[in-house]
Amino acid sequence: MAEPVYVLGGYQTDFARNWTKENKHIMAMIREAVEGGLSETGIDPESIEVGHVGNFAAELYSMQGHLGAFLVDANPAFSGLPTARHEAACASGSIALLAASAEIEAGRYDTAMVVGVEQMKTVDPKTGGDYLGTAAWYEREAEGVDFPFPKLFGRLGDEYDKRYGLKDEHLAQISAVNYSNAKRNPLAQTRSWYMTEEHANSTDKFNSVIGGRIKVSDCSQVTDGAVALFLASRKGAEKYASQRGIDVDSLPRILGWGHRTAPIEFTTKVAESADNEYVLPHTRRAIVDAFERAGLSGVDDVDAIETHDCFTTSEYMAIDHFGLTKPGESWKAVEEGVIEIGGKTPINPSGGLIGAGHPVGATGCRQLLDAHKQVQGNAGDYQVDNAKTIATLNIGGSGTTSCCFIVGH
Amino acid sequence: MRDIQKVVVLGANGTMGAGSAEVFAAGGCEVTLLARSADKAQAGLESAQGMAKSATIGDLMKVGSYEADLESAVAGADLIFEALAEDLDIKKEFFGRVTKARQPDSIVATVSSGLSITEMAAAGDDSFAKHFLGIHLFNPPNVIVGTEVIPHNGTDPSLVAPIVEMLESRFGRVVTVCRDLPAFAGNRVGFKVLNEVAQLAEEHGIAKMDYLIGPYTGRAMQPLATVDLVGLDVHKAIVDNVHANTKDEAHAAFALPGYVEKLVANGHLGNKTGAKGGFYRRVKESGKNVRYTLDPATGDYKAPGDTKVEPVEFIEAMGKLHRVGRYQEAMQLFVDAKGPEADIARKVIFGYVSYALNRVGQGEVVEQARDVDRIMGFGFNWAPPTVLADAIGIKTTIAQIEKCGLEVPEVLAKAPADQPLFNEPHVNRGRFFAS
Repeated sequence: MAEPVYVLGGYQTDFARNWTKENKHIMAMIREAVEGGLSETGIDPESIEVGHVGNFAAELYSMQGHLGAFLVDANPAFSGLPTARHEAACASGSIALLAASAEIEAGRYDTAMVVGVEQMKTVDPKTGGDYLGTAAWYEREAEGVDFPFPKLFGRLGDEYDKRYGLKDEHLAQISAVNYSNAKRNPLAQTRSWYMTEEHANSTDKFNSVIGGRIKVSDCSQVTDGAVALFLASRKGAEKYASQRGIDVDSLPRILGWGHRTAPIEFTTKVAESADNEYVLPHTRRAIVDAFERAGLSGVDDVDAIETHDCFTTSEYMAIDHFGLTKPGESWKAVEEGVIEIGGKTPINPSGGLIGAGHPVGATGCRQLLDAHKQVQGNAGDYQVDNAKTIATLNIGGSGTTSCCFIVGH
Repeated sequence: MRDIQKVVVLGANGTMGAGSAEVFAAGGCEVTLLARSADKAQAGLESAQGMAKSATIGDLMKVGSYEADLESAVAGADLIFEALAEDLDIKKEFFGRVTKARQPDSIVATVSSGLSITEMAAAGDDSFAKHFLGIHLFNPPNVIVGTEVIPHNGTDPSLVAPIVEMLESRFGRVVTVCRDLPAFAGNRVGFKVLNEVAQLAEEHGIAKMDYLIGPYTGRAMQPLATVDLVGLDVHKAIVDNVHANTKDEAHAAFALPGYVEKLVANGHLGNKTGAKGGFYRRVKESGKNVRYTLDPATGDYKAPGDTKVEPVEFIEAMGKLHRVGRYQEAMQLFVDAKGPEADIARKVIFGYVSYALNRVGQGEVVEQARDVDRIMGFGFNWAPPTVLADAIGIKTTIAQIEKCGLEVPEVLAKAPADQPLFNEPHVNRGRFFAS
């Protein structure tokens, strides 16, 4: 039997910040996340035995690699700490979490630190879009293309349209729900932005088409952000609990996980799934793996979801892939308000990638931290009532790397 | 309090009027924008759409002119929001019309940053006065969320809490409640620092002072470049008002320096008078923007090469520490630095901390340190005074304030030793320190 993996807590930076305007190095982001996490949880830095960093492309955005080593600089106690950096495009944060939790499950370490970080505002949007293109098969899908990813996720919508029919107003509603949730989240990038369903449905100079059926309002954000999380074995969690005079079983655990990788090229993916009822069957598989490992019968056992909504089409896909509706019927959950805070299974109470922001390598960690906040009842104004079990879905590339976690007690 | 659904904005063609209209519509209100003509109001509407980056926000807006539409719009409004020119006579004239047309329980608010709320309240009847207060949004209001709410003595006290609550939860504002004293909290504290820097620039130079009190001291922008952005005329109006109508420990800091007086008289108002400039003048030279700097002694603008500021060791070192997130270590360098530059910088910065926190308490501008923190942090984008005090250490801050010969605020003297003074759990302190 593998060691259980506990989530002790963590810290998120304010995703509305522009660290380039502050003239800050990515080190400042890592340091603030780590210091914030240590102070929020009261964890003794000496007790941390290993560190993992999730980051997509600091080599491009900041001309800086080897980010694992920057953890060591974040606190004097970390000198000599074993560290590494992990990359799987927008799923980098979840991959770092998987690496840390695998080590805990194996009994190597009792307390691990995971930092997800991305500094994206160092470059103009077009250059940034080109960098993001390296999450696809760059030479075939992105080279010489302006904003390749909106176009790829536009094609995901087109594929739904072809197989099942898709109305853009359902995508607009998904956008409006995420923005509206973000207004409740004091760390969300768009918390003070204007957005309504009417605006998301409009197409003009203020809501222009970026690629295919994807408009500005369908997109997640270019975000600077860092998140620190602390994971522990049963022994590490017991120590943490006893120092605080709390019951170790009051601490949430990663109850299950799923991790699958599909062929990187989008054309190959949809060709492969042509006869499947799921457009992205490997993503579906990652979710089902997580449910099974957590001993859940399905999405009915989940109280809320933090999903990858890099575009409205990815959330549309997540709805049926999680099993909230039959394949191809995601629109029903949208129309019936299932996904809204107060609905049966709220999706992205935090605002998700569209509302809270999408610092690429930090997103998986942000989702797990929000899951932790929800099950601990610490999510403030975006708290989902009686949230006991939360699922996360983090996706790298055009539905390529899919990671799912179930967090609960 | 009346539920606020319908809002009338007077002066909707100005930046503050259009920006306020955007804020209220974004919170779901139906907003009527009024100006001298419906065309001008329409320009305000379009400007609000630009701020919201949305055409559909216009669906919540109507336009009209004072002559044709003021009375009917005011009669149907829950909130009448005045954003006219900062001229008491003009405002009074409009308030006279508003008082006759409004519903007895509608709220009337002014966005004024400088005029007396009490005097304005007297322009209407008793009911008007009871429902009148200042709601000072900062420019541009769709971006800067710091907001001052200023009741006067006659404002119905039961209105204040629900208005603050509404501004925060529905309109995303970060609110400071102020007493009706000159320039309220943000501008009183902020322009004290800005004017002091302008005074010191007479001896040390513009570029040098902007370097000494630059972003590394906890602000997004250099102080005199900030005045250029705000406008030297606005700066003059604020400091003259405070100088004439207050007597506090920093009275002399509000005396407008003679060279600035001259600049204003000659129409050098800052960025808005592009060719003339203000403290700086931007000149296009072979396609590039070049920043010339005023010589306060002569009134000439000098080329960058002639006003080059020699780097100061502690400032450069602090910038490097801020860049990697070592803010406390940076502030320790600030305390320990030797030399005349460090003395000037400390005098201004500890002067800021001391002056800001001295505005807290009985008979003062605000009730709690949190209030002045909020407006400096979210109205000015400056490190709030308690963020600086926490980073430096309370004891050290007190010692430094005493060393500068300044008054030690009670907030600091009575501060608990073991917990930070700044207590906004979701606010990243690091965001205030730029390098």
